[in-house]
Amino acid sequence: MAPNSMFEGIKVIDFSHYVAGPHCTKMLAEHGAEVIKIEPLTGDPARQLPMHKDGRSAFYVQHNLGKKTMSLDFSRPEAQKICHDLIRDADVVVENFSPGVMKRHNMDWDILKTINPNLVMCSISCFGQDGPLASLPGYDYIGQSYAGIIDMNGEPDRAPVFTDLTFGDVSSGTHAYAAIVAALFHRFRGGEGQHLDLCLQEILFSYHEMNVQLYHASGGAYVPKRAGATHGVAAPAGIFKCGERYLFVLALGAQWDKLAKTMGREDMLSDPRFTDLAARGANKEALNQAVQDWLDTVGDPEKALKILQDERIPSAPILSVPEVMEHPHTVARNMVRTVVDPVWGPLKIPRTPLRFSAFPEVPEQTAGFLGEHNHEILSQVLGYSDQDIENLTAEGIINSQHI
Amino acid sequence: MTRKHVLEGVKVLDFSHFVAGPHCTRLMAEAGAEVIKVEAQIGDAARHLPVIKDGRSGYFIQHNRGKKNLCLDLRTKEGQEICHELIKTVDVVIENFTPGVMKKFNMDWEAVSKVNPDVIMCSISCLGQEGPLSKLPGFDYIGQAYSGVLGMTGEAGGYPALSGMAFGDISTGAHAYGAIVTALYHKAMGGGGQFLDIALLDCLFSYHEMNVQVYDASGGTQVPQRSGHQHAFVAPLGIFKCKEDYLIIVAIGAQWNNLIKLLKREEWADDPRFANPLVRNENRDEISAEIERWLSTVSDVTEAVRILVQENHVPAAPILSVPEVMEHPHMQQRGIVQTVKDRTFGEVKIPATPLRYSQYPERLELQAPFLGEHNEEILRDQLGYSEEKISALQTSGVLNAKNI
Repeated sequence: MAPNSMFEGIKVIDFSHYVAGPHCTKMLAEHGAEVIKIEPLTGDPARQLPMHKDGRSAFYVQHNLGKKTMSLDFSRPEAQKICHDLIRDADVVVENFSPGVMKRHNMDWDILKTINPNLVMCSISCFGQDGPLASLPGYDYIGQSYAGIIDMNGEPDRAPVFTDLTFGDVSSGTHAYAAIVAALFHRFRGGEGQHLDLCLQEILFSYHEMNVQLYHASGGAYVPKRAGATHGVAAPAGIFKCGERYLFVLALGAQWDKLAKTMGREDMLSDPRFTDLAARGANKEALNQAVQDWLDTVGDPEKALKILQDERIPSAPILSVPEVMEHPHTVARNMVRTVVDPVWGPLKIPRTPLRFSAFPEVPEQTAGFLGEHNHEILSQVLGYSDQDIENLTAEGIINSQHI
Repeated sequence: MTRKHVLEGVKVLDFSHFVAGPHCTRLMAEAGAEVIKVEAQIGDAARHLPVIKDGRSGYFIQHNRGKKNLCLDLRTKEGQEICHELIKTVDVVIENFTPGVMKKFNMDWEAVSKVNPDVIMCSISCLGQEGPLSKLPGFDYIGQAYSGVLGMTGEAGGYPALSGMAFGDISTGAHAYGAIVTALYHKAMGGGGQFLDIALLDCLFSYHEMNVQVYDASGGTQVPQRSGHQHAFVAPLGIFKCKEDYLIIVAIGAQWNNLIKLLKREEWADDPRFANPLVRNENRDEISAEIERWLSTVSDVTEAVRILVQENHVPAAPILSVPEVMEHPHMQQRGIVQTVKDRTFGEVKIPATPLRYSQYPERLELQAPFLGEHNEEILRDQLGYSEEKISALQTSGVLNAKNI
């Protein structure tokens, strides 16, 4: 019989905070896994990030949909026992502390695998579980710095810039999700549990689809460096200005012939400076200038874009976030998801990008308040009495708060 | 039972080209899946991307190790028949053509699911399988433009800047991999085959971990805008210069108190202008000035990072170039730069796969295929074609092979 969701019956114990780990467990929850998020007494620090309404963080809501929440002080043996008892019956553990923190709390892989040998444990960190940088505090942009990503952004002779969104965190969450599911699949086919060691720096470094190979295979002759609005190697390729708007235009291969004709610059097709991809790359300033000149004569960005797109020359307007959210294509694909939070009411966030024909709808989910399910989990899953739970509360081992 | 890796025994038919699709099937091959890459007569366009040595592309090698190769004319009936026969034998079909192209080849989901109802088909595209933009030619930066990612990169008021790497393509490949293993798991649990629609646009848009929500929840008063080397909404989070080099400082949480101590500005702890990261952003010039003043007293960027991180627990990092990353002791110890030995090209350095499994700590030794290298092997061993039939297909030009 087909299951009701992709991960029906899969139990996840989630020790993660901020974005990378929570994004991973959010994806697991969106596909039907039962996720219990364990937070410290003060809560996931993401609860401090904007926007806030009556103490409730919309940032937290975005990354924690569909999870049950417990809040406990896991430096205390009583709390560690609760965690161990939950893990004994779980399929997956996810954490994204700095390496060493889980060990300090008796919850590293060496201990957890003796409690549950079938467990899939995924540790997400900025630099990995070993190596000289492993213990550094890690954030997305720190990982980007050490992965050679930020150095590749910005004008060549100016300070580098960074993209104002955490593609490192979110996409690391997705990598972790994929590794966990691959390990679950492996376990289902008779394999054992295992530990997964994923880190932002390595994931971000894998995004160099060209730079590492180019630098090495050219014998160091080609040194990757940021090239501002235009592409470092290929041309014409870059961001151009048309009227008051910026447009991205790219024309490699046969598209270059079409673009030259569209611009009325057939003469460039027989110019020896532009005969092939390598020659065009070597003379990219002249080529990109020709594109800019043509856009200046057209003047109207809508008109220019229509001409280019009708000719199937790769091109796009640079949209702002509000423009993306209102774009007819975005609307047609339901890319913006509206969730209803008990405090916030309707709240817009990006939809998960995984689209399954067998499960076309994203389930309706909310994010837990701090420690919202303490009582439910302790009594129903672990069989604690009301008195036990009261004692834990009185001793400050568990906590709950309406945030 | 012992497997060589987590996906051993999973069979994949791969119609993808350039980066997003090939990265997905690379991840699958590296996890032990058996991947047959089907290329058109002229080959994957990535075979023409630099560095080229003796006709062999280092770029192609990076994204296509561990795949068998079948080169045939997808426009011919014979070519399509071969594909249909192979589809009957596989678990997964992957493609990243512009929406509509697979239908022209009689291999859209409708046709594929008729041939093999249990198959998982994953279509990767720039803008998705439907919607007004779906048929546009798609590249990573096109997806970045339409998702608001490019709009958030660059100096405030200036040109947006391109990131010098294809993070849209690669990370979409990883998303597709995640969706495929999910569907494989679901199928193993009795769930059957299905179609997966994975778009760069969707993946890139999901990277707004804050912008969409802040814009909506602030009632439109907080408009996300690129802000160069400083974060749009929170402070202090930005890039600073120390002598001739750059570093990034992130002190938005509890580390704020550590930073103001280092800057000898403890009185800011009680100053309402610096009460939280959002308010601090409105007064960030004052903070930046203090940070720059301090940096001017430090000898170099390495020392600045050491003082910040080791002595004061303020997250900071030097902005490293790609060559610096490749030579860094941490990357060396973790083996992040992988050296592969290609049969034609010799040694090529590429980024290693970031997925690490404790049961499979060693990477599989994998080669990137030549164009049509496994034509005969696949047709003979997997489909039972006779030598005569294979050579007839070669003569009629349905098949092609070339040592590139």
